Amino acid sequence: MAATLTTKAPAPPRKLLASRRTRAGVLYALPVVVYLLVLFVYPIFSTLFLSLKNANGSFTLHWYAEALTGVNLSVLITTLRISAETALLSLVFGFLLANAISRLKPVWAALAMLIVVVPHFISALVRTYGWIILLGDKGLVNETLAAMSVPGAPFQLLYNELGVVIGTTSMMLPYTVLLLYGVMRGVDRRLLAAASSMGAGRVTIFRRIYLPLVAPGLASAGLLSFILSLGYYITPALMGGPNQTMIATLINQQVTKENQWNGAAAQGVILLLLTLAGLLLVKLVSSLGASRRKRSAS
Amino acid sequence: MAEFGIAAPSVTPAGGTRTTATGKALSVVALRKTYGDVVAVDEASMEIAAGEFVTFLGASGSGKTTTLMMIAGFCEPDSGTITVGDRDVTRLAPQKRNLGFVFQQYLLFPHMTVSENVAFPLTLRGVPKDEIRRRVGETLEIAGLSGFGGRKPRELSGGQQQRVALCRALVYRPPVILMDEPLGALDKKLRDQLQVEIKTIQQELGLTVIYVTHDQEEALVMSDRIAVMRNGLIEQFDTPRELFERPRTPFVADFLGAANFLPGRIEQHTDEHTLVRLDNSGGLIKARRHDLVSGTEVKIAVQPGRLRACAPDDGFCTGTVETATYVGTLVRAGVRVDGGDAPLLRLEVPAGRGPVTGERIGITADPDDINLFPTEQAG
Repeated sequence: MAATLTTKAPAPPRKLLASRRTRAGVLYALPVVVYLLVLFVYPIFSTLFLSLKNANGSFTLHWYAEALTGVNLSVLITTLRISAETALLSLVFGFLLANAISRLKPVWAALAMLIVVVPHFISALVRTYGWIILLGDKGLVNETLAAMSVPGAPFQLLYNELGVVIGTTSMMLPYTVLLLYGVMRGVDRRLLAAASSMGAGRVTIFRRIYLPLVAPGLASAGLLSFILSLGYYITPALMGGPNQTMIATLINQQVTKENQWNGAAAQGVILLLLTLAGLLLVKLVSSLGASRRKRSAS
Repeated sequence: MAEFGIAAPSVTPAGGTRTTATGKALSVVALRKTYGDVVAVDEASMEIAAGEFVTFLGASGSGKTTTLMMIAGFCEPDSGTITVGDRDVTRLAPQKRNLGFVFQQYLLFPHMTVSENVAFPLTLRGVPKDEIRRRVGETLEIAGLSGFGGRKPRELSGGQQQRVALCRALVYRPPVILMDEPLGALDKKLRDQLQVEIKTIQQELGLTVIYVTHDQEEALVMSDRIAVMRNGLIEQFDTPRELFERPRTPFVADFLGAANFLPGRIEQHTDEHTLVRLDNSGGLIKARRHDLVSGTEVKIAVQPGRLRACAPDDGFCTGTVETATYVGTLVRAGVRVDGGDAPLLRLEVPAGRGPVTGERIGITADPDDINLFPTEQAG
């Protein structure tokens, strides 16, 4: 009884305080909620509605059917392929770069990171034109190769898939290097020494200790560059040919040239779903790996 | 945590290359390492028998860890040789030495379970899966970790993690296991417990262990022999008893026994004893027979526990009790000796009839407990 009495007595003021806190909380959260509603929820849903609307305003899946057939489908597949290639290449180069940088002394590592990251702050347009100058028929790369009389030079390095992938990979590299460098710096080097004390050679240590420890970073870096490439616009548009049209370019064409907002909206939704699917996939793979490890251990 | 019981003989992990309990496990000859002008290890030489528990004891910077790292292969010596069994490993990479190493920071692989961690060195050696499972199970059982195999290292306490690290280092039965302050990161109580556990496992399995610590008590509790190191030199390499009772240098006497030092001069020798005239009190003290010539300036060294209180003027010196601290079974007393520059002697006497502050007492000791060092050797 005494317990209930003592808890009852201070209850009203506490409740008051709690409600006041809640009210204050709502007030504080309001800007964020409004921000999200106006700039995030509303555009997404209006795009969704747009993509499901007929010319006369009734419901239809016509725009999705159109987006997933013919040329549009091949553009979608090209987008996925180029994004995958970009993700893979930026992972490989990012891994090599980050690994090298993580072995440097802190001062040199900071300088190297600066060199990797600074180009990111330059306009993508400028960087893309830079690549175009470098990779053109009379560009530095081909001129050098020709001067060394490499057979076949000059090579076609622009306005094809190679050109696009070179361009997008270079755009993604800062992200992958930053992500991987952070993970690699977090790996305790003494673990590698411990493995060698037990008789593990360099290859074994890399495969069984180092790689698993940086794997989460590899997954997120790969995913990030894949997702970013999916919606990439400038570089594929400027460095690719007609066969390298990517979905962002297509959306742009539909809106600006054909005034076809509904089709563009459907493709936008598909792009969004692909991105979400990518996120889900990585989540699935990592949790699957974890449960497999757990099973094999018990 | 379950206490570690003496394992039944049947759970001794079967090992392929277990060295016999006799013979030489490891030897180090004239090992030297310098960093710039600093000599980290200076011509260290020692031979360690199979089944022996050897400790490198010293303060930080004494060269004990550097010596261990050179044996492990993490650090290359400037000169000297390291032999494991009959194999010269001086210039071999760590992974080719087939030694075990237990680190202070455990260094378990965080992405592997306890079982996988312990199995790791066995998988490197191409041991069949069934045997790996059996040996991992046995080893974990010895360390009292049965049932923890499926856990991740981060789910274990520090003491448990270090037990896993120990399992991982001994599961493949390396001829020598090196341990670098393995209990340094644990609290006192756990440290005491693990000292006993490690020692028991070592004896049970006949492991050869080289252990590094700066903790004298830990070294005394665990070791068959201790190498006391200072400034890159091995001051003395001996059994704990010898180090304690027959220190070869004043440093060892001080470091291990916290000895009292008194200056004096050798007066004469008898058949069994050497008589030393103390500088400050002028008293004569009988010490163990020593080969120094009469007239040599010496320091006598005697541990607090080996001094006895007696009636004033009966001992080799007399003084006033300045402090008397009751510490359970003992009384620790500080006695200001009469005359000269009046040194303070530290005594540990049984609590029963302990001296009290202000009391005048004589101090005596058994001649066998008194060590002499020529003064120029004093450090």
